[in-house]
Amino acid sequence: MAEWARRYTWELLLAVILLGTVAFNISESSGYLGIDNFVNLFQLHIEKVIVVVTMTFIIVSGEIDLSVASVMAWSASVLASLHEHDVPLVLAIVAALLAAAGAGLIHGWCVARLGLPSLVVTLAGLIGWRGAARVLVEDRSVGDYPGWFDRLGQDDLVGPLPLALLVFFALVVAGWVILHRSAAGRVLYVIGDNAEVARYSGVNVGRTRLVLFTVSSTVAGAAGILFAARLGTVRGDMANGFELEVITIVLLGGVSIFGGSGRMSGVLLAVLIVLNLRNGFGLANVGGNTQTGVIGAILIGSVLAQNLIQWFGERRRGPVTHVPAGMYVPPEPSTAGGP
Amino acid sequence: MKLTRTTAAVVAALALVAAGCGDDDEEGSSDTTAPSASEAPAATDAPDATDAPPATDAPDATDAPPATDAPDSTDGPAGEFSSILLPKCTGIAVFDQANEGAIEAAGELGVAEAEFVGPASCTDSTGQVEFVTNAVTQGVNAIMVSNNAGDQIEPAVEAAAEAGIAVVSWDSPIPSGAGESLFVAQVDFDETGTVMADMAVSILGEAGGEFAILSASPDAANQNAWIASLEEVLAEPEYESLQLVDTVYGNDDADESYNQALALIDAHPDLKLIMAPTTVGIAAAAKAMQDEGLCETVKVSGLGLPDEMRSYTENGCAPQFALWSFVDLGYVTFYAAHGLATGEFVAEEGATFTAGRMGDYTIETDPTRDAGLRIVMGPFTVYDETNVG
Repeated sequence: MAEWARRYTWELLLAVILLGTVAFNISESSGYLGIDNFVNLFQLHIEKVIVVVTMTFIIVSGEIDLSVASVMAWSASVLASLHEHDVPLVLAIVAALLAAAGAGLIHGWCVARLGLPSLVVTLAGLIGWRGAARVLVEDRSVGDYPGWFDRLGQDDLVGPLPLALLVFFALVVAGWVILHRSAAGRVLYVIGDNAEVARYSGVNVGRTRLVLFTVSSTVAGAAGILFAARLGTVRGDMANGFELEVITIVLLGGVSIFGGSGRMSGVLLAVLIVLNLRNGFGLANVGGNTQTGVIGAILIGSVLAQNLIQWFGERRRGPVTHVPAGMYVPPEPSTAGGP
Repeated sequence: MKLTRTTAAVVAALALVAAGCGDDDEEGSSDTTAPSASEAPAATDAPDATDAPPATDAPDATDAPPATDAPDSTDGPAGEFSSILLPKCTGIAVFDQANEGAIEAAGELGVAEAEFVGPASCTDSTGQVEFVTNAVTQGVNAIMVSNNAGDQIEPAVEAAAEAGIAVVSWDSPIPSGAGESLFVAQVDFDETGTVMADMAVSILGEAGGEFAILSASPDAANQNAWIASLEEVLAEPEYESLQLVDTVYGNDDADESYNQALALIDAHPDLKLIMAPTTVGIAAAAKAMQDEGLCETVKVSGLGLPDEMRSYTENGCAPQFALWSFVDLGYVTFYAAHGLATGEFVAEEGATFTAGRMGDYTIETDPTRDAGLRIVMGPFTVYDETNVG
């Protein structure tokens, strides 16, 4: 039990924060408890939290992908532009996904083959794909999609759950299985821990990164299409700034920015905290600035609290032999790629 | 070593959060203008513990006497009226003025003020969707929205209408008319084109010349309707000397509008006039021309706030501009929303209602849209150096 508690300190901390948030919401807003509101709570930010799952993989492996929001807009803009040119929407969706995958392939190739830092590559992607999106749809909003497409983004598909929510839950489960129950997941941690060691152990680091960035952009592209379906329209500036919110959630989930540690359970808790906080504050008419401030305070507070817990633990028991999530310290000197 | 690493992580996190905040910059102003006292619903159940976090930015929420109406409490006694007033974004003077008008109306009607909430950015249509969706969950009686985009908000507004909430659009309508009961038009949108064309002729004289439009966001329903109306009017012979050479978008952001104005004069050396049908755009364009010392060659006109435009009108950068009263607009909107929500009148063609000091209004079909009902407030006031002070 004590061992379990030590291993999951971060998750316990997040669970406490989540309970606090939920308690606050219940007492503050009479409309909070209800199936509709729980669906809304996810649905209003669903595109972001879908990308959170793949971003977890990227950061665990010691990389970063700043381009996700721009790729969302790029993929949606490809869809919009093709739709404008009377291409059947199903084909347009496929093309949009391929366009997103292509973007990811380019990122992955630059990182894996050219050895460029992912921070630089995806920063270029952030600017480039946003620019490409704006070129495609210009300063307009492109709408008028067939009814089935709009309904896909807005209506319930299974029970009270719209498609995007199902996609999110499927991704979380798949992400958990791959990360924690598969050889591929262990490889990711090793790469994030120390890419050189991974390479000498016979891991094909380059190919893994290529796949990672391609999947990241493809999922971002799919999220962009879902976003278009939810709003019924596409604009070049859509999803602007989402990448930072996504990364914030992943870090709050206890994934180390240096790679090599973090768990899907923590990330899921972080998603729930941020969504419940935004929802509850929204219902209490608290402005977005305050919401962001509180989320920031929670992030910093969690890191500090974790730090303190570890510090006290060390004083009592001597150095800890395991590394809690979110507190991972790479060996010195770090040879891991990425930021 | 461990500590330094952790510190680095914290700093990185801080930087991320700070960067994330950038997006939401002006939200703070909404908190100051929002009548925080009306947030008192907490007073009914657990006043102290639950109030703690919001109390930091809304100190008077905790001081609010428990007797205050609890507008966003769904299970309040019958007859209570709760509503939200949703501007395109917060931190823009005219929307604050509209809220003043709405507060005045609420006072006269003896009901709770509307919650004045909105996204920080005027291009944030998902932000508006979120506020509308949350308002449905809150169970408000009325939603008053100035739509900051096209039809993106439509599904959310339709859900609100289905939940029995009176949805009144003001300032900027929902183009399809779906989900909204009524649009409170500030002026006749078709008249806006004529007013702008007349100002252009009066500034440029008989010779006319090239002019460009600096608008808000590319899919802002009201601005697009006005631009369409202007383009239509330009076809008439009396305006043939005016040549519209470009339309650019500053997204109702002062910096962006300023840069777009400068880009316009670079792109069009013969440009004589920038017409900005948005209060943010006109002020930014006038400042850009003033800063560049171009006021003699490139004039600025459009829709502006006298308070913000006075100096530019007096120094000749923006000799003429037009506007209506946003205080009155908020006032009429609140009366309309309250009347609809309480069943005082129904939203159908020919129905009439009285909006306090503004008098009687008759609902008509909106000729500027394919569907939808409207009332027209009016009138336009054209400002120049004789009446701007």
